Amino acid sequence: MTASLELRDVEKRYGDFVAVAGLSLAVPAGVIFGLLGPNGAGKTTTLRMIMDILAPDSGEILLFGRPRLAGDLRRIGYLPEERGLYRKMTVIDQLLFLAEIHGLKRRQALPVVEDWLARVDLADWGRKKIEELSKGMQQKVQLIGTVLHQPEILILDEPFSGLDPINQGLFKELLLEYRRQGRTILFSTHGMEQAEKLCDHIGLISHGRLVLAGELREIKRQAGGNSYRLEAPATAGDLERVKALPGVEVAIPQEPLDPVDPRLASVRLLLAPGASSSELLRRLVQFLEVREFRSEEPDLEDIFIKAVRDAA
Amino acid sequence: MRPEHAFIVAKREYLARLKSKGFWIATALLPAFMGAMILGPALAASRTKAQQRLAIVDETGAGLGRQLAAALTEPGAEIGEQREQRERRERRERDEGSVRFDVQLVPPGPDPAARRAELDRRVRAKEIGAWVWLTTGGLRDNRFEYHAESLSNVVTQEVLRTRISRVVSQWRLHAAGLDAAKIAELTRPVALSTIRISATGSRAEQGIGGFMLAFGLCFTLYMVIVIYGQQVMQGVIEEKSSRIVEVIAAAIRPTELMAGKLAGICLVALTQLAIWVATALVLTTPAILGVLLTLPAGLTLPEVPGAVIVHLFVLFLLGFFLYSTLYAMIGASFNSVQEAQQFAAVAVVFIVPPLLFMMPILNDPDSPLAVGMSLFPFFTPLVMMLRIASKMPSAWQIAAAYSLCLLAIAGMVWLCARVYRVGILMYGKKPTLREIWHWVRYS
Repeated sequence: MTASLELRDVEKRYGDFVAVAGLSLAVPAGVIFGLLGPNGAGKTTTLRMIMDILAPDSGEILLFGRPRLAGDLRRIGYLPEERGLYRKMTVIDQLLFLAEIHGLKRRQALPVVEDWLARVDLADWGRKKIEELSKGMQQKVQLIGTVLHQPEILILDEPFSGLDPINQGLFKELLLEYRRQGRTILFSTHGMEQAEKLCDHIGLISHGRLVLAGELREIKRQAGGNSYRLEAPATAGDLERVKALPGVEVAIPQEPLDPVDPRLASVRLLLAPGASSSELLRRLVQFLEVREFRSEEPDLEDIFIKAVRDAA
Repeated sequence: MRPEHAFIVAKREYLARLKSKGFWIATALLPAFMGAMILGPALAASRTKAQQRLAIVDETGAGLGRQLAAALTEPGAEIGEQREQRERRERRERDEGSVRFDVQLVPPGPDPAARRAELDRRVRAKEIGAWVWLTTGGLRDNRFEYHAESLSNVVTQEVLRTRISRVVSQWRLHAAGLDAAKIAELTRPVALSTIRISATGSRAEQGIGGFMLAFGLCFTLYMVIVIYGQQVMQGVIEEKSSRIVEVIAAAIRPTELMAGKLAGICLVALTQLAIWVATALVLTTPAILGVLLTLPAGLTLPEVPGAVIVHLFVLFLLGFFLYSTLYAMIGASFNSVQEAQQFAAVAVVFIVPPLLFMMPILNDPDSPLAVGMSLFPFFTPLVMMLRIASKMPSAWQIAAAYSLCLLAIAGMVWLCARVYRVGILMYGKKPTLREIWHWVRYS
């Protein structure tokens, strides 16, 4: 499968601060790719470099298998993290303007705009000024502006942050529809749950470096088999002991299971490669009254935390 | 840079602004404002007859006080006044406008010091506005005293001074043995008929008309450059603070966005200017003007040659691009209008000096000061407007000033494009001048 988008050893510094450090990444065509990482990992900078808003200090960015050409950016729909519209413009004028700067003619764009407005229940709001719309409605308008020109690639920076539940659903529906049509979607998020539900591929970055990338299913399969859940009444001191046990690579305490007895702890454990689970259980029962100890499919958060630790 | 991208942006700017009520309100208000500023004081002066209550103390014993009182209250009562003199006097009265005196003659009394103290008290009690003491010593030294609470009424003082001078010189001539009729005949004032020489021939005009034209054009230019410069700044900040700039920057180049913005707003300003000029031309055609208002006797409207209007538009373009690039740069550097306002004052520092030097420039449009200022690009638009409206400068000076201005614009566009490109995507803290300079060097 050819990559729609590829970064080769891309680096970006702001003064002494290295925002993106030698990042190489390939986004295959026709997938939903999640760029994951905590705040400040370099996600926005990476997306801005792809959109040619920022110039990388070094490295190469390829689109459609070749160096970026002038018209390529118009084949992308870009939703920045910080969103905004002209407050004094009407919804239709605004969308037609966005269509025009993406190379559409007004006459072509008008029916598309109207279709979209009808689809998101804003048909009656076309002649209203943006400032008269509610925040949720503005989010819808922004979304339409991103996809009006039928982009082949969608690049969305934190698309779910600040969205109300209705719009979150709308976004997801749209992303899945786009994938069905064979388009490529790259979005950044720090919310692992969203990514886990939507993505085919992921790239995890931390401190400007790629720490893990690939097909989500494959990543999970590889990480699987050594993720366990432990439930037992435990003090903070007990949890520290658990973390220090041989064979335990990561221990992530979960929300207390029982609000009445917060001491009943639930901990996710990631075992080191080759570590024996029965050996671990034998050690655990020596100081804990273990209620449950079972093998579990790892979630993305565990994988991410482990990957960041491994990279460090 | 692709012109069609800039065109899309320009079209948006133009239509969005033309659709706003603010544009049409400003288009209607500015002429009204200018008219009020020019005609208002004149109207106010001709309608209001403020009275200055003046006490005159005459200790010369020569009847000067009585003559001065007569000259101040009944200026027409000059003996042997001819018709021609009366017309001239009436015109003078119009110019002196509001100044009217209500005079009391006060005898000096046995104790002058006590009288002075009493007059001062009456001034403070607002019974009289001022008092004048005519002394024999003053007659010899050509100097009399005027006492009042406020001395800022320079027009009143000037009228008083000329009247006293006239009365005193008439008294002296009388003392020298001339009779009253002879004196009036000999001291007749002379007027200047002003004739303007231009390429199209000479034409009798009043100086005040030419002054008003130059002032009006210069002030209009100033307003339009500042207002639309500020609009550029606010537009840039709006795009930046609403973050829409990032969506736009992902589709078209920042330079295209900047060029389109400047072009669009420039067209809005040209539209407004064209509406004003067209309105002014229609309203001042003799047929319409005659119906609208009767001009004061003797006031002729200055003739406005077509060349002046052409220069108005050229100077507007030069001024707009010189200042709007500066304003765009300021807008791109800051996150809010409040932050930017402090720096917008920088632009005002450049644009205001021509207004301050307006009088000397108009008085001698070819003076080294006027020529020098008109050659400094940031002053060129306003100073050249003043010079062209009052007396067409030589072709080489116009060519030199315009060329220098174009060079400066090229420099400003270069600088602005660099600051803008970086600045519009910089959020967060207010940048220092040093950081902005880094943007210029490394972008």
